[in-house]
Amino acid sequence: MDKVIVLLRKAPYGSVYSAEAFRTIMGIAVFEMDICVMFVDDGVFALLKGQNPEKLDMKPLGDGFPMLEEFGVKRFVVHEESLTERGLTPDDLVVDAEIVKSSNLAEIFDDYKRVLPF
Amino acid sequence: MLFTVNHSSMTSKSFDSLLKILPAGSPILFFEDGVYNALAGSSSEVHVKEALKTNPIFALDADIEARGLKGIIEGIKKIGYDGFVELVEKHDMVPWI
Repeated sequence: MDKVIVLLRKAPYGSVYSAEAFRTIMGIAVFEMDICVMFVDDGVFALLKGQNPEKLDMKPLGDGFPMLEEFGVKRFVVHEESLTERGLTPDDLVVDAEIVKSSNLAEIFDDYKRVLPF
Repeated sequence: MLFTVNHSSMTSKSFDSLLKILPAGSPILFFEDGVYNALAGSSSEVHVKEALKTNPIFALDADIEARGLKGIIEGIKKIGYDGFVELVEKHDMVPWI
């Protein structure tokens, strides 16, 4: 099975990056690939609970990630340092993610080889 | 002068650079991704608290709500679009992009 990391490093709503990452995951999930969705830097904000962009006339992004499991996307990896320097904990997130230190992220990159960066 | 910040200080140096030149008393407004700077417990909280001693800081409610931010640093005033307009009417706006 082909393996790929979809890497999110930008905050949602301020730019299209995280929404486009989500669309890409939906798109490639149908090919039954082994997908690891990885959240680093401001990308971790995409997983924050309680997003409500109604006043911005946008669709909430966070709610979509738990649904990805139905499409066979099961692996969510969050960079621990990115989370803690933002004052966040795993309880603040919409999915049950693996919380991973920098050194272990390197191993995941090594394992997957292919990265789609957003 | 009203200084507006629309980027997170985690990925952009713009808020840090604003703090270096900021005249005392000038209001700051966080909007768009700038509202992440208002998040309590983040590593930039200490800088925001320092700025609050000399400058009023506002954050746009709609952007806070959109991003699901719960803990806002004490002393930052949440405002709506009407409050944004009032600030712009009162001050010359300098977008610190």
